Amino acid sequence: MISFENVCFHYENGTEKNCLQNINLTIQDGELILLCGESGCGKTTLTRLVNGLIPHFYTGNLSGQILVNGNDPSSTALYESAETVGSVFQNPRSQFFNVDTSSELVFGCENMGLAQAEIRRRLLQVTHDLNLHHLLDRSIFALSGGQKQKIACGSVAALEPEVIVLDEPSSNLDTASIRELAALLALWKSQGKTIVIAEHRLHYLSELADRIVLMDNGSIKKVFSRSIFSKLRNPELAQLGLRIINLNQLNPNACVTPKIKDTSPPLVIKNFNYAYSYCQLSLDIKHAKLPQKSIVAVIGHNGSGKTTFARCLCGLLKKCPGLLEIGDRSLPPKQRLKNCFMVMQDVNHQLFTESVLDELLISMETPDNNEAQRILESLNLSAFKDLHPMSLSGGQKQRVAIACAVASQHPIILFDEPTSGLDLVHMQQVAQNLQHLSELGKTQFVITHDPELILSACSHVMHLKDGQLFDQYPINQNSVSKILNFFTNETQPLSAERAV
Amino acid sequence: MNNKLQAKDLINIGIFTAIYFVVFFATGMVGYIPVMMLVMPFLCPFMAGIPLMLFLTKVHKFGMITIMGLVLSILMILLGHPWVGLPFGILFPLLADLILKSGQYTDWQKIKTASMVFSLWIIGQFVPFFFMRDSYFATLRAGYGDVYADTLMAITPLWVFFVIIAFAALGGLAGALLGKSVLKKHFQRAGIA
Amino acid sequence: MDLHSFGVTKKSKFWLDPRTKITMLLIVNIVLMGGGYSGLSAFLRPTLALLPLGLLIIESKLKAALYYLIFVSLAMSCEIFLVSQTAGLINLLLVIASGLLSRFVPPLVMGYYVVSTTKISEFVAAMEGMHLPRQIIIPFSVMLRFFPTVAEENSAISDAMRMRGIRLGGKNASTVIEYRIVPMLMCTVKIGEELSAAALTRGLGKPTRRTNVCRVGLGLIDWILIIFSLTLLLLWIFLG
Repeated sequence: MISFENVCFHYENGTEKNCLQNINLTIQDGELILLCGESGCGKTTLTRLVNGLIPHFYTGNLSGQILVNGNDPSSTALYESAETVGSVFQNPRSQFFNVDTSSELVFGCENMGLAQAEIRRRLLQVTHDLNLHHLLDRSIFALSGGQKQKIACGSVAALEPEVIVLDEPSSNLDTASIRELAALLALWKSQGKTIVIAEHRLHYLSELADRIVLMDNGSIKKVFSRSIFSKLRNPELAQLGLRIINLNQLNPNACVTPKIKDTSPPLVIKNFNYAYSYCQLSLDIKHAKLPQKSIVAVIGHNGSGKTTFARCLCGLLKKCPGLLEIGDRSLPPKQRLKNCFMVMQDVNHQLFTESVLDELLISMETPDNNEAQRILESLNLSAFKDLHPMSLSGGQKQRVAIACAVASQHPIILFDEPTSGLDLVHMQQVAQNLQHLSELGKTQFVITHDPELILSACSHVMHLKDGQLFDQYPINQNSVSKILNFFTNETQPLSAERAV
Repeated sequence: MNNKLQAKDLINIGIFTAIYFVVFFATGMVGYIPVMMLVMPFLCPFMAGIPLMLFLTKVHKFGMITIMGLVLSILMILLGHPWVGLPFGILFPLLADLILKSGQYTDWQKIKTASMVFSLWIIGQFVPFFFMRDSYFATLRAGYGDVYADTLMAITPLWVFFVIIAFAALGGLAGALLGKSVLKKHFQRAGIA
Repeated sequence: MDLHSFGVTKKSKFWLDPRTKITMLLIVNIVLMGGGYSGLSAFLRPTLALLPLGLLIIESKLKAALYYLIFVSLAMSCEIFLVSQTAGLINLLLVIASGLLSRFVPPLVMGYYVVSTTKISEFVAAMEGMHLPRQIIIPFSVMLRFFPTVAEENSAISDAMRMRGIRLGGKNASTVIEYRIVPMLMCTVKIGEELSAAALTRGLGKPTRRTNVCRVGLGLIDWILIIFSLTLLLLWIFLG
């Protein structure tokens, strides 16, 4: 049993956001509790109270009483809490201590000093339970996000904790991996584990969660039972600031297909092929034709070559021999680098300077202060122009990167999973930004696993499969079912091993 | 405040040692241009001053800098650098640690001095060129005669070694200043340090 | 050196205990760095230099092995035969070039072999076997773990720089260095914090004795290699 009694918490150097106020909640053994709410509502903070990272790792001002199976995590050493509470985190890249999968699976057990035979038994058990056979003895860096998350879950399961907390575990996963995650949660539930999960994506949890805790501004706003929650319709959810709980409810009429009445010649992609020396995946797209100013959703499972395609398109892979034709211009990789701009999934990689304004100025061919100010204005960034880009929130950083893309005047802009881990409001903002760029005449490619984003902003779909162009179509009333079908039904073959 | 090193501190040491080493090593690449060989002892601690200063914002306990030096030295040996680097890699970081402790890890003058002293760990890497040559030259003398051995000794005179020490110390000092200005310009404004 | 090679497993039938590798590394380091060709050394040092060569061949790095063979044998034969035959400037260049090559290349190759074929958990097991305190083992293993991460972040940042047309060199070299180091630090520090949190919730730092399930143990080949290199070391110390 987990109980919170009048719990308040402020991060030591934190802002007003993320603090917790007067939390009262009792979680019974074997319950699955879903924490939801807008970014910064305190979901993550609450999970940290359960696993003891607060106050042992993230320091701050804590009051009230927390009990996890009779122990107070704040007065229990982290390595002792680790025996009862397992934690899975959002970012699959940063939660591994080892660089090979097998060592990672037993890492926790080794730390606990369990007997060798016992560790081997648990390794076999976990491998069997989670179906990890094909992932053993692999390098962590050769796994896709979904595979990494599976290993992370496995290494938690090997410790056989009674309580498991997960902090936005699906942020970096594709549909098939999310389905596997859901199956795993069901397994844990059947084993009687108590599960606390903070999440924006709700659809895979609507059948699993026993209670749904809606948080707002650091306090608990409402607690729903499963039966009530699953009856909520999309508009009601939207009002609560929540994402959809049933993909099939996505309203085809909601899609706002941008009207492209453009006479400019189309973009033609020719002979994009690329093979990695160290894995099977290769990209082979012979021909694709897309209208300019369109917003193209690039979909496909992990390992289908989406990222490779984006890198080829940008010209980042010099050895990709293909050409991109715009009208009578034919662009080899080096030229594409000057015509494309990618907004990366982790925007932290592309912010360099000490102020937002500087960031725009270095993106311009010839720095123009007035123009930069104008672009910032159009993206609601004027207030931040003198701040350090790294001090902004995730969504604001992404807007700065978009502003840089506009400032660079490159006609083609790519987005790599712009909505991973975003709540409804921020997802809608991204959709607006895409529309805005379209009005500016940019052609956009959006790699995404997010059907809501596709239906609210994109105009075309490129569906990649095994490195090839599987399907390509404009989004309209007739094709919506095709998209939904991809996101709800298709399962990933186990052979699609590797994402790059 | 618990003065014993916690697991969190030990992990921090590992992370910053990795970053420090990468910056150091990448800067050291210029050492492959022969003329730059002499500048290297200055340039490496200078650039590595940025991660070092960021690390120091997280150091409040005795031993962290010493362990960093030790771990760096073990890594150097594993990478096939001269084993004589080890005693230097323990001694100078230990001194730096003591200096920092005397200033409660916050005194800026002490931090500058400590950065200078810490940078001297690198001179262990140069020792074989200068001091282990006695045995080397003895065998040379026996094999190839006095004239030859003397010429070789002449082009690696001992004073060059002291120039290297001076460069390393200066690099440490300049690195501390660089690191502090970068901290102020970026990390504090970004809310990281 | 390719930082990606740190500690990442490669399937290899030929497996050595990490302690064997470290012993060989230290001995190659001491003996070859020590220099000299008088007496028995003229035989001992080239023999020991064969060790990294053999390991390169076993790891099927044939091209590297060929280069290694050419450079080191050229350097050593230069030192042994040519240096006494030449004079003046040529002599000087020969001495410096061959001296550096024969001393530094074998330990470096040996180091490359060790770090590229050893898992982090094996390093940890070996260090625990040597009874090093955890105050050294934890930072050391975190460091090894972190190299590939730094490399990964670095390449993402350099992609971003290429897309923005920011290049090293040219008029603003100093700012460009700042653009590289600062974002790299920002990203890695953040990842480091998350890594740290994840490791702590998996019980890292528990004061009791850790178990180690990875395969460690001295086999026949290990003993042969250890005895071989130790013999050479002792011969070199007392007779060389």
